[in-house]
Amino acid sequence: MTLDRSRWDKGITYDAFKTAMTRNQERFAENEGRVSLDPETVRTFKSLPKPLRVLVLAEDWCGDVVANLPILGRLAKEVPTLDVRVFYRDQNLDLMERWLNQGKYQSIPVFVFFDENFRELGHWIERPASVTERRAAERKKIFAAHPEFGSPDAPVDQLPEDVRTRLQAELQKMRDGMVSFANGEVQRELRELVSKVAV
Amino acid sequence: MTGKPVKVKITYCAECGYEPQALDLTKALMYEFGGRLSAIELIPWESGTFDVSVEDSLVHSMSRDGGFPDPRQVSAAVRARISTPSR
Repeated sequence: MTLDRSRWDKGITYDAFKTAMTRNQERFAENEGRVSLDPETVRTFKSLPKPLRVLVLAEDWCGDVVANLPILGRLAKEVPTLDVRVFYRDQNLDLMERWLNQGKYQSIPVFVFFDENFRELGHWIERPASVTERRAAERKKIFAAHPEFGSPDAPVDQLPEDVRTRLQAELQKMRDGMVSFANGEVQRELRELVSKVAV
Repeated sequence: MTGKPVKVKITYCAECGYEPQALDLTKALMYEFGGRLSAIELIPWESGTFDVSVEDSLVHSMSRDGGFPDPRQVSAAVRARISTPSR
């Protein structure tokens, strides 16, 4: 897959995306501050023989964007040969169509790595499967430990409001507790992705 | 004879940006049923949820039925409930 220069130039920088955010700006900044870059990640990207362009598809309302784009942003600050451009998914559906999750879902964020000549080297979508799996397992544990939450598959609107609020707090606590694992998994996948390709 | 006002609950995935669909449905129901609704409750949730319940009956679930609800289908469920005589 290739991309032309004029289209690339229509993307905005990571900092411009942050400035233009109309939602989740604080959460995004907080996540960025919490990113701990693994030295191996920085070393891997710094050791690449040529610069990389990274096309990002994102929207500011998306939880996975707010969680994972700051990792790439922090990495690009450490690795000057990484040039990141962000494109809003809903304004660039033709680009979205090229990198659908499982060929059908418009999942974001999408990180597409290109060489200097806009030749695609690989792409990364949404979040690592390992994170989704662990989240599901932790969710099951929460429901098992709290019979008052009912079945994990039942509609939450059937729960009394106070119980639902407690469930919401438990789920949030679980997500917060997984940030370090999730960030590590994102970095591992990005390292593996660029290590596989000859730039 | 008409039944008591009906409560509708819309549970939407806030992380997925489903607010516009939740608000569109809310607006459509408000305009169509007005005071015949006792409340419309909007519940921000996660995990790709978009569920609509009329009283305690689940009339649409994204995970069960796929996609967003057809507003006409939700309206029909509300109308059916309203026309159920109170006991």
